[in-house]
Amino acid sequence: MGKKTSDQAGLDRRGFLTGVAVAGGAGLSGPAQAQSNPAQAQPAPAPAARPKAPLPTAAQTAAENEHPPHMEALTTEKTGSDFMVDVCKTLNIDFLASCPGSTFRALQESFINYGQNKKPEWLTCLHEEVSVGMAHGYAKVAGKPMAAMLHGTVGTQHAAMGIYNAYCDRVPMILFTASAGPVEDRRPGVEWMHSVQDGAATVRDFVKWDDYPWSLQSFAESTVRGYALACAEPPGPILITADGKLQESELSKQEEAKLRIPKLTRGTQTVGDPAALKEAAKMLVAAENPVITVDRYARSQQGVDDLVKLAELLQAPVVDKQSRMNFPSQHYLYQNARGGALVGQADCILALEPVDLFGQLNRVRDQIERTWRRTSKPNAKVISLSTHDLLMKANYQDFQRYSAADLAITADAQATMPYLIEAVEREIGDRKSMFTARGQKMRDAFKAFAARAHADGALGWDSSPISGARMFAELWNQVKNEDWAFMTPNNYSGNWQHRLWPIEKHYQYIGSSGGSGVGYEPVAALGAALAHREIGGRLPIAIIGDGNFNMAPSVMWTAAHHKIPFLAIIQNNRAYHQEVMHIQRMANRHNRGVTSGVIGTEITDPNIDYAGLAKSYGAVGIGPISDPKELGEAIRKGVAAVKAGNPVLIDVVMQPRG
Amino acid sequence: MKIFTITLAATLSLCASAAMAQQAAPAGNIENGKKHFNSDGCWQCHGTLGNGANLTGPKLANTELPFEAFLMQLRQPSNDMPPYEAKIVSDQTVADIYAYMKSLPKSPDAKSLPLLTGMGVK
Repeated sequence: MGKKTSDQAGLDRRGFLTGVAVAGGAGLSGPAQAQSNPAQAQPAPAPAARPKAPLPTAAQTAAENEHPPHMEALTTEKTGSDFMVDVCKTLNIDFLASCPGSTFRALQESFINYGQNKKPEWLTCLHEEVSVGMAHGYAKVAGKPMAAMLHGTVGTQHAAMGIYNAYCDRVPMILFTASAGPVEDRRPGVEWMHSVQDGAATVRDFVKWDDYPWSLQSFAESTVRGYALACAEPPGPILITADGKLQESELSKQEEAKLRIPKLTRGTQTVGDPAALKEAAKMLVAAENPVITVDRYARSQQGVDDLVKLAELLQAPVVDKQSRMNFPSQHYLYQNARGGALVGQADCILALEPVDLFGQLNRVRDQIERTWRRTSKPNAKVISLSTHDLLMKANYQDFQRYSAADLAITADAQATMPYLIEAVEREIGDRKSMFTARGQKMRDAFKAFAARAHADGALGWDSSPISGARMFAELWNQVKNEDWAFMTPNNYSGNWQHRLWPIEKHYQYIGSSGGSGVGYEPVAALGAALAHREIGGRLPIAIIGDGNFNMAPSVMWTAAHHKIPFLAIIQNNRAYHQEVMHIQRMANRHNRGVTSGVIGTEITDPNIDYAGLAKSYGAVGIGPISDPKELGEAIRKGVAAVKAGNPVLIDVVMQPRG
Repeated sequence: MKIFTITLAATLSLCASAAMAQQAAPAGNIENGKKHFNSDGCWQCHGTLGNGANLTGPKLANTELPFEAFLMQLRQPSNDMPPYEAKIVSDQTVADIYAYMKSLPKSPDAKSLPLLTGMGVK
């Protein structure tokens, strides 16, 4: 209150000394400057008049450096970091996840005190990969980004894999990192280790945009710009480096009055060209065996409903690659069970937001000789409707092998879908019954899938380790009357979710990791569970592989600390089983014995006590459960504990691949 | 058409040889087959009881494949399955594994499992 701001303080003693030093330096360099600029050469000036104030002695200078004068302002009421918080508050960000780091100490204090720890609320994570993974899962359920704060250099390095997953998965998030500021301000040692000229360089290959603003005004503009860019289709992470000096410097009222926070404007999404949509409609309606393949398509229930409408119009089967919840698993046109055959027989394929169009149309064998062949008909017409080409970088190869469509419509598929439906309706006209027979075939095939799923599910019904089908059946029995939602992919779970459960709502399945970076499952589940908690009334479920869980077991602490309830079932096959199979493949290929493939891939001897681990973090832990007859009761207890507000882990010893 | 003819001929040939070989399947040692099934990597893709798994490997328990086809799939896999040459798994060991798979108890009828059939998919 009574303290002077820097503007008011005038020339204190430190400022005076600096001025003297600069003046002295200028005097010494004067002749050299004159020589370097002959046009301004002047006769040597007369010696400068001696300053009236005496220069300090060496002892005085030392004392000055070690003991700031009593007049120096040691506290302040407003800093640059407060303004940074003001900027973030305009963006309606609900949560910010972070593992502590001194490079953003001013920002953290501003968020929790100046910002009153609301919008965003600061969430404590125990690893930066958890912070970023939370933001990943949260955005997929909430439909908007949250923020994560990463310590300068080392924190960004920790976070890198999680950011890569989000980038590959095209998920928006607002990331901040920090640096200690100008060299003369850094304390020796650690502050230098955590300072960086280019804080985003570590992750620039897999963020959508980044900036290192050098003024508060620039911070405001870059953060608002970044938010808009992160959300524009195709979305992705953006990274802002908050300079330490900017954070910690005092912000005077005069300076603050000059600052402006720009308005956030979200751009409309790209929609397909009408002429191209008309052409696509003609091709689809004319086809005898059209197939719709869909991957990273639906971002809301509207996208699901629109795709149902298109598929029913054409009575065309849908083959879902499951990067999102795109289509109801109970719908008779959901034909994943014979997806390969359908693509192979198709004369027209509509690919909606394909992550890997080449992989949908071709197959590469994993033998010594990597042969590949096209599995779709050579003359099949392929239409792609995708934002794939709008976000692509050179270094990391997530863009997959090049595959040209016959008609490539570069646009956001969900935003375009209503217009494609209109075009198809116009093309069909009054011939709506022309696809009735095709629809009946699909219904018949779908009935057979269910029978097959039940027959397959019966295999190893009473086995120990427990089969995937048994686990999902026991789970269904306990949650069938709840508003459940899966938060983890099913590619390691035998695909039982989609084979046996009615996944109908968009939030009931949020797809895969994007970059296949191990550790996604627990961290994304934590963020998704947070979003479900905010919506309310849901039972979030995560099926987490033991290898995946070991990358970030501390999610259970963050969940307990912040009261984020969810049910985590550890699909415990006591191995990095994907790698078990890879090493086995190499052992077979090299003919040097086939019994040692588990070395370096199994997680046994000792077995890990996951339930005990969960308890140590403050969560509810149950298991290990090896007997399928005990599983139902274990899940019942777990569900009850989740409904009481707890994070719960059930360790289920399971078959290697569900 | 040519491709179809070749494929058909190959299929018929396989079926014929498989049918002949089925009658001459070597006797297998079930216990030894179980030991090798669990040590030689079979369980990794096909489940500890040969129950199979989506994407990695089909069901092998109570297999209806003739022994010759079973053996051929190990020696010259028709897909991504790793090859098992005679140098590391002998014909006799394959016969033992085959006998073990044949000996496994049949799965229950799904209709007798209301917990399974009671889920959403009808």
